Amino acid sequence: MMTIVVIITAILIVIVGSQLLKIAELKAKSKGELIYEVSEKQGKSQAVILLIFMFGLIGFFFWQMYAWYGLRLPVSASAHGEAIDYLSDVTFLIITPVFLLTHVVLLWFCFKYAYSSKRKALFFSHSNKLETVWTVAPALVLTVLILMGLTSWNEIMTPVPSETEHVLIELTGQQFNWTARYAGDDKKLGRSHVSLIEGVNGTGVDLSDVDAKDDKLVKGEFHLPIGVPVQFVFRSLDVIHSAYLPHFRAQMNCVPGITTQFNFTPTITTEEMRIKVGNDEFNYVLLCNKICGAAHYNMQMDVIVESQEDYDKWLAEQKTLVE
Amino acid sequence: MSTHQHHTKDFLFTYVFSTDHKMISKQFLITGFLMGFIGLIMSTLFRLQLGWPGESFEIVELLMGSWQENGVMNPDKYLALVTMHGTIMVFFLLTAGLSGTFSNLLIPLQIGARDMASGFLNMLSYWFFFVSSVIMLISLFVEGGSASAGWTIYPPLSALPQAIPGSGAGMTLWLIAMSIFIVSSLIGSLNYIVTVFNLRTKGMSMTRLPLTIWAFLLTAVLGVLSFPVLLSAALLLVFDRSFGTSFYLSDIYIGGQVLDHSGGSPILFEHLFWFLGHPEVYIVLLPALGITSEIISTMSRKPIFGYRAMIGSMMAIAFLSFIVWGHHMFLTGMNPFLGSVFTFTTLLIAIPSAVKVFNYLTTLWKGNIVFTPATLFSVGLVSTFISGGVTGLVLGNSALDINVHDTYFVIGHFHIVMGLSAIFGMFAGVYHWFPKLFGRMMNNKLGNVHFWFTIVCSYGVFFPMHFLGFAGVPRRYYTFSEFPMFEEMISINEFISIFAIIAMLAQLVFFFNFVYSALRGPKAPMNPWRANSLEWTTPVEHFHGNWYGEIPTVYRWPYDYSKVDSNGDYLYGEDFIPQTTPLGENEKDGGEH
Amino acid sequence: MKKMEENIKQMTTLRAENINYKEELKRKTSKPLIWIGIVSIIMFFGGLTSAVIVSQGGGGFLAIEMPFSFTISTVIIVLSSVAFQFGLISVKKGNYLAAKLSITLTLILGLLFIVTQYMGWTFLHDNGYYAAGKDSTQESSFLYLLTGLHVVHLIGGLFSLLFVLVKTMKNKYSLENITGMQVSIIYWHFLGALWIYLFLFLRFIIA
Repeated sequence: MMTIVVIITAILIVIVGSQLLKIAELKAKSKGELIYEVSEKQGKSQAVILLIFMFGLIGFFFWQMYAWYGLRLPVSASAHGEAIDYLSDVTFLIITPVFLLTHVVLLWFCFKYAYSSKRKALFFSHSNKLETVWTVAPALVLTVLILMGLTSWNEIMTPVPSETEHVLIELTGQQFNWTARYAGDDKKLGRSHVSLIEGVNGTGVDLSDVDAKDDKLVKGEFHLPIGVPVQFVFRSLDVIHSAYLPHFRAQMNCVPGITTQFNFTPTITTEEMRIKVGNDEFNYVLLCNKICGAAHYNMQMDVIVESQEDYDKWLAEQKTLVE
Repeated sequence: MSTHQHHTKDFLFTYVFSTDHKMISKQFLITGFLMGFIGLIMSTLFRLQLGWPGESFEIVELLMGSWQENGVMNPDKYLALVTMHGTIMVFFLLTAGLSGTFSNLLIPLQIGARDMASGFLNMLSYWFFFVSSVIMLISLFVEGGSASAGWTIYPPLSALPQAIPGSGAGMTLWLIAMSIFIVSSLIGSLNYIVTVFNLRTKGMSMTRLPLTIWAFLLTAVLGVLSFPVLLSAALLLVFDRSFGTSFYLSDIYIGGQVLDHSGGSPILFEHLFWFLGHPEVYIVLLPALGITSEIISTMSRKPIFGYRAMIGSMMAIAFLSFIVWGHHMFLTGMNPFLGSVFTFTTLLIAIPSAVKVFNYLTTLWKGNIVFTPATLFSVGLVSTFISGGVTGLVLGNSALDINVHDTYFVIGHFHIVMGLSAIFGMFAGVYHWFPKLFGRMMNNKLGNVHFWFTIVCSYGVFFPMHFLGFAGVPRRYYTFSEFPMFEEMISINEFISIFAIIAMLAQLVFFFNFVYSALRGPKAPMNPWRANSLEWTTPVEHFHGNWYGEIPTVYRWPYDYSKVDSNGDYLYGEDFIPQTTPLGENEKDGGEH
Repeated sequence: MKKMEENIKQMTTLRAENINYKEELKRKTSKPLIWIGIVSIIMFFGGLTSAVIVSQGGGGFLAIEMPFSFTISTVIIVLSSVAFQFGLISVKKGNYLAAKLSITLTLILGLLFIVTQYMGWTFLHDNGYYAAGKDSTQESSFLYLLTGLHVVHLIGGLFSLLFVLVKTMKNKYSLENITGMQVSIIYWHFLGALWIYLFLFLRFIIA
């Protein structure tokens, strides 16, 4: 019923609209004008609206900052994240003025140079000097951003050297949950393959491998000790997933058939972060960040960062696979 | 032969299987807009889900059939919608619709040719496009639904029906449709390139070509070099899905079973896909940039500033676009050194882009600007190109990409440059060249309303997404409600969805204006915008061959606007000098330095 | 006024009597069109051969013994290009009988090429190299795929060649009118060059 009403209304609007347009055309003709000619007055009013738009857009930008800047992620909970946040701030300090100034120039020009029969436009077709200026200036700015970025990138993507004390965890993604496998005291992960998946051995660990004897499989939440680098190895059992830990400025795809790696050092415990964000139910979280199927929006695992003693206690309570 | 047979044959060859580039351009335009409208409805539907998660909507119930329950869409069908939305908008509207329309319309007219190099191939190009569109739409109705692995269709998700239902028949049809689409695009590009190089009229040297032609030429070259690689990626995927090969698949355990594939890598697909995928976004953008150069210059009554720099920057963008694809793959586990290389090349692309923006600004400076809807949309393109472009500096820097990759920050970025800039270029082109397409004029007041509602609401939709991205909200999420950390963002989603609905409604104003004006709009004069290029010297009524008698000879570049003599009076008495006007004594062609 | 307009329209409408214009257009644009088409086919095979290299990744491929038939294929396709070229030269010189014979020979060699390809595939299959399924490997899949796709493109070339042959038999070509044959021969030589590239690529990467 509603559908029919909507359709009829639409048809009537179209008919009325057509008639109105025809009337407008004839009215203009009767005044000796052409309806499609833009009069100076019409042009100037669009110019005014463009100027208003300039204030509107800039205002909108600042309003959004006021309303939503506070929603951004809290301070980085990892060591390398600080460098990333710093680079991010520098980048925004560059692009925000560029965004604002170019819009002022653009929309002010539109307003100021709106058509007037009393003026002539200026025939100014080229200037090598100007072209050089605005080729070199962006190039210089970009060089700075590139150098800063690549320095950080290289540091971040270097695996933890094996001599350094670290926690070794394999994170396996699958539709639609995560499993963490801790390497245990031998600091080595046993081999694994999907053909060995059976029952509680959800990620196919090769139990005959001596390195796998002390590996521990954990689901639902996993723990990290504060201040100790954690080296992740990522796997997937079925489709591409992505392990995204936004609070730690960490992300890496999980690809079936290969392993990928990422590492970071947590610098703020869960308790400390709860105080910082003023929410004692806050938890660090691992999300999936690569489209992986129907429940992609709910593939998560909590991450707890705690003191070394609490972590050791927790780890001791986890069962090894063999058990 | 009876007159009846004669009329039917004429009708078929004049309207349906026409080899006249002007008719073909209209066919591309209408099919492109129809597909675009469908893509728009899809986005409105999933914005309903995102703005009001889990709430029941009659329209969802009405339009989505078995894809919903009680007016709430299913999560996997949400993914089907975003996949098809992306596919339709990027390929069918912004590639075929934009290039197909304006390359076909303007290349012969602006270079001074009777038609394209091969009218027959041109006709085939359209009909392949039409067939691929039909197949793509049919894929919405098959069992399991349409492709649902994102428009980027990475395997294994896109290869395994057990991973998501849409990866069954729907994905097969997607691959067939896209293969036909790629052939259509390649045939079109062949024509554009050969026509521009070989069929220019007397006096039309390469440096007297309007910037639209340069843009369309570079776009066609990009297409010829990159679309075949997508075809190879799709072919290997077809083999993995249907013939048991393992190009992309290895070590998979799904649905309780270990699959027989081994040795393949999904990353191979990503490389092949993005080798097209990145040039593709410049295939989408360059024609819009060319159109904007033309319109801003004409409507400001000033030459485009830095004609050669504009050509050079478009060539730089085209060249660089082939060596940046890895910035879509920073986090795939590829060698970090590669990541560094791609960061470097990606940030380089900012330079020619900046040059173009500054040149547009300088063109407007001290101009005498006439504000038609086309002008407004061109100004809108410059605005959105700036807004969307600067966030590219964040995404292109690999270290920064770590935390914003695949979040709403990316969605904001690419929608502003493609969903706004490129479509604004298309709208500007339609308003500006409507007289050449249909011999009538569109209504300016409705056009202005269309522009203002579109730009304000679109900024309302996409600007907030940057904040969502910075809060860590991933893309392609059916709902945010499963994560306590995203609870405060749900109201932002509502904000966005409201603007999205209004923006969608504003497009109805455009469609009404378009259809009414094409049928009953005021008749257009030959040169309504008082422009210089050759298309405005052809008669308003179309006929195959474009010019009565001989094709005009060209004596100057197309940007002699407001050229004055030493007394400050306009040369030849007008503020524009068509390309067909011979140079005066001691007058140098403005295109030479 | 309307009659004059009608007359002018008749003079310049493309679909009408402007045969000369159409011929001129074809002469000017057919060859560039086929060249750009060839570029896109090169990119297609470029994508596939890069896929082979990327798939090799760290570990090499297991060596596959190349069938000897493929070497014969190479000889055959080179000969066919020579024959076709000779046919073109003959037409230009007015030696129409030689042209008809050489182009027929080209067609026969083209068909023989496909036969040797098929023999190659059977050899591979008999030696346990499969295109798809559980017992296939990436190398073997690529091998069949690349050679198979080449044959597909060659079949297109055969249709073009057939068309040229028919026209030659009907004496439609002459020194002033050989554009159609030139387009076909460009594509045919390309197919030969592509085969040589694939043959060497497969020998050194997969074999």
